[in-house]
Amino acid sequence: MPKQLFQGNEAIVMAAEVAGLKFFAGYPITPASEIIHALVNKEHIKALQMEDEIASINAIIGASLAGLKAMTATSGPGFSLMQESIGLAHMMEVPLVIVNVQRVGPSTGMPTLPAQGDVIQCIHGSHGDYFPIVFYPNSVSELYQYTVAAFNAAEESMSPVILLSDGYISHLYETIVPHRDFTIRPRSRPPLGTGNRHFTGLSHEESVPQTSDVDNYRRLITRFREKQLMAARRHNYYEYRECGKETDTLLISYGALSRVAYYFKNDFALYRPIRMFPVVDEIKSIAPRYKRLLMMEMNMGQYAHEIERILHRDIEFIPILGGRIDLKEIKQKIYGQE
Amino acid sequence: MDKNSHFKRYLKLDLLPTPWCPGCGNGIALKTICQAFDELDIPKQGTVVVSGIGCSGRSAGFFDLDSVHSVHGRAIPVAEGIKYANDALNVVVVSGDGDLLGIGGNHLMHAIRRNTNITVICYANEIYGMTGGQVSPTTPHNIKTLTTPQGNPDYPTDVQSLFKHHNCFFARTTAYHLNHMKKCFLEALKFKGFSFVEARTMCIVNYGRRLGYKNSNEMLLHYKEFYKINDNAEELAQNEIGILKSTAVS
Repeated sequence: MPKQLFQGNEAIVMAAEVAGLKFFAGYPITPASEIIHALVNKEHIKALQMEDEIASINAIIGASLAGLKAMTATSGPGFSLMQESIGLAHMMEVPLVIVNVQRVGPSTGMPTLPAQGDVIQCIHGSHGDYFPIVFYPNSVSELYQYTVAAFNAAEESMSPVILLSDGYISHLYETIVPHRDFTIRPRSRPPLGTGNRHFTGLSHEESVPQTSDVDNYRRLITRFREKQLMAARRHNYYEYRECGKETDTLLISYGALSRVAYYFKNDFALYRPIRMFPVVDEIKSIAPRYKRLLMMEMNMGQYAHEIERILHRDIEFIPILGGRIDLKEIKQKIYGQE
Repeated sequence: MDKNSHFKRYLKLDLLPTPWCPGCGNGIALKTICQAFDELDIPKQGTVVVSGIGCSGRSAGFFDLDSVHSVHGRAIPVAEGIKYANDALNVVVVSGDGDLLGIGGNHLMHAIRRNTNITVICYANEIYGMTGGQVSPTTPHNIKTLTTPQGNPDYPTDVQSLFKHHNCFFARTTAYHLNHMKKCFLEALKFKGFSFVEARTMCIVNYGRRLGYKNSNEMLLHYKEFYKINDNAEELAQNEIGILKSTAVS
């Protein structure tokens, strides 16, 4: 199959189609709108523009329960609006894919420069405890690959899976091979209209709400956590590059910024999480090989704090804020004044 | 014949009683929905009931068919997602006025615009009952609630006005007018397009008793005296119940 030139958001659409997407609901927002633009032209996919992101997430919850693989795509402001129903989808165990093409925040920020400010929102944005699977590719071909993985992980975990992107990666044009050589997971439960099940955001046992049974609630949340970890283990995606020469430094980055990290491959070892959450276990065996952990991300240290917590050690952190990725500036921050 | 066969057919009887207070009007509406289902012989397989949050939100879980209990205000978009995913399903939303007209009002407006072929049954009890009795979108002017201790300074939402220029179905009925309620539900379920029934149900515990009603029966008698049936109106007056099918061209 020949290579073809595609935009990041277009790659998401093509991969979603390969993965079996049948229903999409979304609301216009830069830099994610190309996804709905492409989907409304697909013959076998129902793509709706709803009145807001809240309606969008709830419509795909309904569609997924009714039997169709469903997705929505948004950016930070819309992702914030969806949070309550993301919790609902975890409680009702609804497979979904939510694409979040990140932009600068908080609030309207700087429309629409790229950022990585929604990393923690992915896992703590809704109230209560839930354990989402989150992927964050760093190229157009990876967006293609991990969109399919997101749909599969959603069915395996019966939960909403988040595909993070950013304004850079989603608007990037690169050549990819749009192959169809994937194992595609079938739907994980019979559609609505075939039984007498009750899907509820209340704590429940099987189909029955249990609003005062504390032990049942504890079992439910424990089961969710185990289920998510088990499903995530099938998708252990990360990139680790040892350095050609002796180094005591591991440079950690992800998404758009990790493309800049490759520039430092001759000086440092590189680590890049692709499955952002649950955090890939391998970091625990890789990090102890290095005396110095250096991390850069396009926020004030959201993922660095998470890694520090897991490794129980400090990280030298370089924030790259405001959407500007300037190699000269980054070199200066890494090597000091030269 | 068993005169309760309709709700034995459509409800999960082993889950009863409902969490609703003695004297609550929701049960009347729930039973009447079952009567309408039974009369139309709506199949349990192929039908989905969706609820939001509140006292009314607990309705969905009692139906002996697939049902969804969504978050506050979002029953309509969930139901629309279901309907657009599988057009063969009968999709019925059962929720309250706070849920459908308050927090979820935006979705109602747009479901009307899209004329999605679903039926929405709104238990309009003029109050947020589950949270103790706060002012709701259908609370009349000057009525005292926990959050309007001096009386409601605002006027209730005129739901029918949303339907004016759309080819949708709107009806208002009350828990006193049982035959009329059943007729409204039947017509709404049969309607091809978006249908909405504003069913007045009484809340005695967190509303009526504070207004001086001694029991829910007195609230029902108020419905009897206050509301007049007018099924041929172009627009319902405040004290009228009836069915409006817009003649607007779709």
